[in-house]
Order: sequence, then C-alpha cells, then structure tokens
Amino acid sequence: MSACKHRWSMTNIRQGYLVIEGCFECGARSSFFSTETFPPIDEYQEGKHFWVHLGNYQAVKFDLVCDLCRKTVNLSDMMGLMLSTCQDSDCEVARLAKREGPGAWVYVALCADSTHRAGRCVSDEGIEALNRYFNQNIKAPGKKIIVVPCRLCSSIDKCRGIVIADTGLTDLDAQTAQAERQRQRG
Amino acid sequence: MKVKELADKLGLKAVNAYKDKDVESVYISDMVSDIITAAKANSLLITLQTHKSLIAAANLVDVAMIVFVKGKTPASDVVELATKAGIGLFVSEADTWTFARKLAEIGLK
Repeated sequence: MSACKHRWSMTNIRQGYLVIEGCFECGARSSFFSTETFPPIDEYQEGKHFWVHLGNYQAVKFDLVCDLCRKTVNLSDMMGLMLSTCQDSDCEVARLAKREGPGAWVYVALCADSTHRAGRCVSDEGIEALNRYFNQNIKAPGKKIIVVPCRLCSSIDKCRGIVIADTGLTDLDAQTAQAERQRQRG
Repeated sequence: MKVKELADKLGLKAVNAYKDKDVESVYISDMVSDIITAAKANSLLITLQTHKSLIAAANLVDVAMIVFVKGKTPASDVVELATKAGIGLFVSEADTWTFARKLAEIGLK
C-alpha cells in the first residue's frame, strides 16, 4: 500500500460526446464516449441487442494524477457525474445524503451500463480518488462532496438527479451529421 | 475581494441571498463539462447559461458567485438550488466581453 497522501490533479482531459443508446429488444441502455467530430448515431446489432441512438451531449473525460507520487487513476469507466436529488427511502444514495446532512452534496459517478448486468461499475479506486480530488479544493466551511458509484442507486434509470451535461448545444451538429450520412448512403 | 464588494462596485443585481465569500479568480464558460475541469474554488463564473446543470457543476468545484450576462435570469428552481449551495447569483446587462473588461478595470485579474 502506498504511504503517499495523494494530492490529485486532473490529467488526460479529453473533449468529446457521451452517446447514449438503447436496445430496441430488451430496453437496456448503454453509453460510450466518442471523440469523433460528429457523434455516431448508427443503429446496429450486437449479439442479442439491437442498439438505437437515444441521444448525445458534449462531455469531457479525465483521469487523475497524484502531484506527489505521479500515480495515475484511470477514470475511463466513468461516463459522467450527476448531483443526486433522490428522496427514495429505498435508495442507498438518498439515505446517504440524508445521513450526511445539509453540508453534504452527493454526486453519482455514472458508468456505461446502467443495468450493471456484467457486474462492472466505476472502480473503487476511482471513486476514492474523485472524493479526495473534489474535497481537497473546497474552501466553504462545512461543505463536503461525496462521490458514489451508480451501482449504489436502487435504479439508476429512475434515480432523480441533475446530470452535469451540455445537452442541446450540438443538436444542429447532430442533424447536420445525420443528413450528411444519409446523403453518403444515397 | 468579497462577493458583496464586487457586486457593489459593478452595480450587479443580486438574484438570491448569498454567502459573502472571497473571490479569488474569474472563469468564463457556457459549458458545464468545461467548468468542472477548469473553474477554481472561490471563483467568479461568468456565463450565459441559466440551467440547473450549471449550478450542479459550479457547486462541485465550489464556485463563489455566478454572473449571468446579457440580462439572463435563472428560473426559480435554479435560484433555489444555488441558494442552498451558498452560491451568489447576479445579473448583468452587459455582454461577456464588456463585463470581463469591467472586472479588469476594478483590479480583478
């Protein structure tokens, strides 16, 4: 175990699009990060799933690096952050926010697969580093940021929150791209 | 410089009750994905955006105050969230460039 008291900074900051797809057959949702000029909107078969484009928004991805020991934490498994406003007493995230009180703000780190059927979510190491990173910079007394993985939500598809996302800013770009693709297909 | 002093010098209209924090830097952005990677704690954020996602991002990085330029006014649920987060919301009729110049003129750089 490292003895370093990490001091985290953002590194490897990538600008792109978070693309959200839904399976026409089973209703599953999936998302991925694209650095293409236009966000991909293609429909395609993948095993038992038939993925349909549901939407996209401009997003950023980053990793964290320790300024002291240069350890890097890869956050490629995190698709975004959501400020939780959940008040469902059956949801662990809502219960955590209630327990922590008014100075605590719970943000949910969203992974690519909302169903978590494959058992994957944002890594524990990533969550720990995100918590330290956002709290080390806070100056408001009594304020605390708590970052939790989305597997803690009782249902991430129903969970109430405010996703930190630049929605709508590139709708015209997406329409242009779609028109361009249709033109190329003839 | 404190939030209140800054607001007084610039003739800003306060939208909510705010905490009078120190303002240590300035950041201009209309993208929340940019704000979470570049804005600093106790900063003044200048923006055109008035949606809730902006407050979620500003709160995450502990922004002290937000100035909506060109007279943009946020909705009541946005104001409520910012107030809960202790973030001062202000409106300026100036455009972004003009407002940024005013900040430099009063010595905030």
